[in-house]
Amino acid sequence: MPEANTPVFRRAVIALSGSSVDAEIVRLALELTRHTHAELIAVHVVELDWTEPLDADVAERSEEAQRVLDAAEGIVEAMHGKMEAVLVQARDVGAAIVDEAASREADLLILGLPYRTRFGGDFAIGRAVPYALKNAPCMVWVVREPMGEESR
Amino acid sequence: MTAPNSPLRGRKLGDRRVVVDRPHSAYFRYAGPGVMVAKAAASAPTTAFGRRLARVRSFVFGKPLTSAAEIGERLSKKLALPIFSSDAISSSAYATDEILRVLILAGVAWLTWSIWVAAAIALMLTIVALSYRQVCHGYPAGGGAYVVARENLGPNFGLIAAAALMVDYVMTVAVSSAAALANLSAYFEVIKPYSVLLGAVIIILVTAANLRGVRESGNIFAIPTYMFVGMALLVIGMGIMNVATDSAHIVPPSKFAEKAGTEAFTIFLLLKAFAGGSVALTGVEAIANGVPAFKPPEAKNAANTLIIMALLLGVIFIGLTFVGMHYGVMAETAAGRPVLAQIGSAVFGDGILFALLQVSAALILFLACNTSFNAFPRLAAILAKDDSMPRQFAFRGDRLAFSWGIVVLAGAAIGMLWAFNASVDALIPLYSVGVFICFTLSQAGMVLHWRKERSSGWAWRSVLNGFGAILTGVVFLVVAYEKFFNGAWMVLIFIPTLIAMMMFIRHQYASSARQLTMRPGAAIPQPHRHNRVVIPVSGVNRAVVQALNVARSITTDIRAVYVSDDASHSDAVRELWAQAVPDVPLVLVESPYRALIAPVVAYLDVLDRSWPNEKEEPITFVLIPEYVARHWWERMLYNQAAKQLRAALLGRAHTVVINVPYRRDEPRLQAAAEEQPAGTLVPEDNGHPR
Repeated sequence: MPEANTPVFRRAVIALSGSSVDAEIVRLALELTRHTHAELIAVHVVELDWTEPLDADVAERSEEAQRVLDAAEGIVEAMHGKMEAVLVQARDVGAAIVDEAASREADLLILGLPYRTRFGGDFAIGRAVPYALKNAPCMVWVVREPMGEESR
Repeated sequence: MTAPNSPLRGRKLGDRRVVVDRPHSAYFRYAGPGVMVAKAAASAPTTAFGRRLARVRSFVFGKPLTSAAEIGERLSKKLALPIFSSDAISSSAYATDEILRVLILAGVAWLTWSIWVAAAIALMLTIVALSYRQVCHGYPAGGGAYVVARENLGPNFGLIAAAALMVDYVMTVAVSSAAALANLSAYFEVIKPYSVLLGAVIIILVTAANLRGVRESGNIFAIPTYMFVGMALLVIGMGIMNVATDSAHIVPPSKFAEKAGTEAFTIFLLLKAFAGGSVALTGVEAIANGVPAFKPPEAKNAANTLIIMALLLGVIFIGLTFVGMHYGVMAETAAGRPVLAQIGSAVFGDGILFALLQVSAALILFLACNTSFNAFPRLAAILAKDDSMPRQFAFRGDRLAFSWGIVVLAGAAIGMLWAFNASVDALIPLYSVGVFICFTLSQAGMVLHWRKERSSGWAWRSVLNGFGAILTGVVFLVVAYEKFFNGAWMVLIFIPTLIAMMMFIRHQYASSARQLTMRPGAAIPQPHRHNRVVIPVSGVNRAVVQALNVARSITTDIRAVYVSDDASHSDAVRELWAQAVPDVPLVLVESPYRALIAPVVAYLDVLDRSWPNEKEEPITFVLIPEYVARHWWERMLYNQAAKQLRAALLGRAHTVVINVPYRRDEPRLQAAAEEQPAGTLVPEDNGHPR
């Protein structure tokens, strides 16, 4: 049985989607690693459809994609933490996140989930989170943002 | 764009991903569409020497702070009080002496009037403090008397207030360091011959502390101020207790006591005593100058700190005068002891408390200059924003301090110390003249402010400020009259000189702004002037080829100029040139007087004159090939003529000077050079530009 002070994880991948919940998961992850000195890797995936080659010059030129990671880096700097930021181009966000976490031997994958509803009013979980829950070899932590006033 | 990374395989068949490089991320961060914020690495030095220098700077002045950290550098009331009030509060240590020194001229019996004079000064302090409190609220961007005068009396009155204040701030630094040294040299005679040098060292130390940032200097200087306030209140409290219990004994006059005079006790003598004691007010305006340095709500915190400062100053000043009067203390000559020391000795005896009082008084006198180091740079920054001072004064340094203002203040104060040989007696007449000019102007400005604003209570407020303006105006006249022949005349020359300088700067900036301003909405047409390129060459070498390639990207009208002092050498160069660059004409200029630069400039003049008058002047690009040295010591060996030429062409009409650097370690250039067919590129003059 692990000792009480053994870190829960040594390397965590934070999947950033550019949504409002990104800042929260970065802060949460930083708070968790403050004393354990675990490694943090933020990953943002730009999804390319099949009309473009996978190595097309899209993400590097996309300010929006860069801004997602830059914003996270800004939070980390302000909290005097450390984090690596990785920008990825892929056909499928969920698969790319899980593959990145697996290739980096992460033992925790943190995903943010904005509270969104479909037209019928049902909660929309998207594709990436179920994929990660089903396929990630490591622990998965999904942080859903609070419901808006109108949804309560 | 960087080369794309190769796709990585995923865990499942067909899953691929590409990790994209982020070359900007080391130096910049995207903050919004099209907006990048530079990180610390973007401003970090790139050379080894630069990095070493940065480490030294970081050790001496602290690590650079971001602009966003400015709010963290703001001052709490607790920290702002010692920073902005060390000057004002320290003046309570000697203001009573100044009153007694005048009253004794009418005889010992009239010394009891000191308390009434002190009360009148305290009344003036109240009016001035209340007025500046309103200034804090009315003008939260800071600037104090300058802004009040500028807004209400007109820009030129603003400049008078600013100049007066700046002179006084310089004098405060010079006087306080000289006074601290004078006190020290009373105990350590050996330092007396080195007063100027030591004074400069003191000022440089205070400068370094202030360059570390306002908060850090506040932390350093807070303790002495609070220590003095505590000790002064203790001596007053115990003194009053003794007076109340009839245990206060009269201090016998020492041999250094000022001799009692036989002058008539007139209103003029009272006014003189009043003017003398008014030095207690110097530094009161500092808080109103530095409102933006406070934590939010800035105006409220500044106003409250100002009132606390005025209360402390008033209580200590009146308290010391009251206790001193009951102990029969008299002002003494420079060789004797100040009133504070006499009171301390009488109340505490010669024990540890007395020693603590003296040490704290010496420290606060020494640190009174710190108020100027906070107020002067802020005032200079506001003036710079108004184009009345060079704009560098508005720039914040690595630690968010107005470094230029701090350094210039230190330089001016060291200059004054040197000019007056660090003599307190010689410097003191120049002190406290300017501050009453700015008190008068700010009070007069506030009268107009209330009349314009007509807010609640405007009538009594304007009467109060009007009374204050008259009072401080009278004090200014008395102080200026009393001190005029002792040196105050210099201040009355410095102030107009400064005003003239600021007006000149404002005129210059306004004039350049008029020339640079574009008509709003004006469409900018395509350039239509003819371009030509002139390349001064030192032979045929790779640096020249590099410059030629740049020239070809600008225009086809290119000519090279070779200045030679050796006709035989010229022929060889011409031959090589014709072989290597046949499409670009080479102009050979023989220089029998061996000048290199002047013939090139003269050639450009000739080119300009030969241009048809009816056509618009062409733009001449002068491309100067430069060999980039790899080491600092190499820089002395190369490009000396290029530097001279650049200096000679600085500001020349219709001329653009471009340096074209050639790096011998640039692999692409090296490879291209090596690809040149043999014979087309022959190094000349050892291959190095002159």
